[in-house]
Amino acid sequence: MGGHSNWPEWVYIGVVIALMVWVGAEAWNVERLVEHVPEDAKIIKVTGQQWFWTFEHEDGTKEIGELHVKKGVPYKFEIESKDVIHSFNIPDYVVLMDAVPGRVNTVWFLPFDEGEYPIQCREYCGLIHYNMRGTLYVEG
Amino acid sequence: MRKIIGLYIVLSTLIIFPSIQYVFAAEEPGEYLDRRVEIWNLFFRMMTVAFVVGAVVSGTLIWLIWRFRESNPKAKRTPYEKSGKW
Repeated sequence: MGGHSNWPEWVYIGVVIALMVWVGAEAWNVERLVEHVPEDAKIIKVTGQQWFWTFEHEDGTKEIGELHVKKGVPYKFEIESKDVIHSFNIPDYVVLMDAVPGRVNTVWFLPFDEGEYPIQCREYCGLIHYNMRGTLYVEG
Repeated sequence: MRKIIGLYIVLSTLIIFPSIQYVFAAEEPGEYLDRRVEIWNLFFRMMTVAFVVGAVVSGTLIWLIWRFRESNPKAKRTPYEKSGKW
C-alpha cells in the first residue's frame, strides 16, 4: 500500500453505490405507482383452480374462462386459489400475480385498447397447466 | 464497530424498513396509468444502465490488459523486477 494513491478505487466505489441507489429508487418508485389502486377501481374476484379461471364481477355476474371488461375503466383483481398455487397472467397488460390457497392477492389494471387478449396460468399447476387459459374481452 | 453495524442491520430490518413502507403505503388513492408503459419503460431504462455499465467495465478491462502487458513499449519495470527481490 505504501505511497500509492487509491483515489480511483474510491471513485469506483462511489459510482457503484450511486448507480445501485438510483436503480433501487427508480424501481421502487415505479412499483409504488403501479401498485397504487385508483379509488373508483371495480373489483373482480378471480379464482384459480385446476385447470380454469372463474371471474366474479361486483354485481355478482360470474364468468368462466372469459372476462369481459370496459375500456378506460380501472379494475382491481382479487385473486385466490381453490387448490394449488396458480399465477394469473395477462401478458399484453403486464398483469401477473400468484393465486395462493388461503390468501387473497390483488393487482389492478386499466384496459386502454379494445380487443381480445389471452389470459393464462403462469405457475406450473399440474397436468393440464398448459391449457389453463382464458380470454380477456375489452369492449368500448 | 462491528457490533454497532450488526445492531443497525437488525434494527433496520425489524423496525426502520417496515415503518418506512407503512408510512408510504398510507397515501391517497392512485391515479390512472398504463402499467405496460411504466413497467416496460423501467425495463428499458434498466437495460440501458446494464449495457452502459457492461461496456465501461469490459472497456476498462480491455484497456488495462492492453496497456499493462509486458510487451507494451511504455511498460516500466516494477521496483521488484529491478532489484530482483520479492
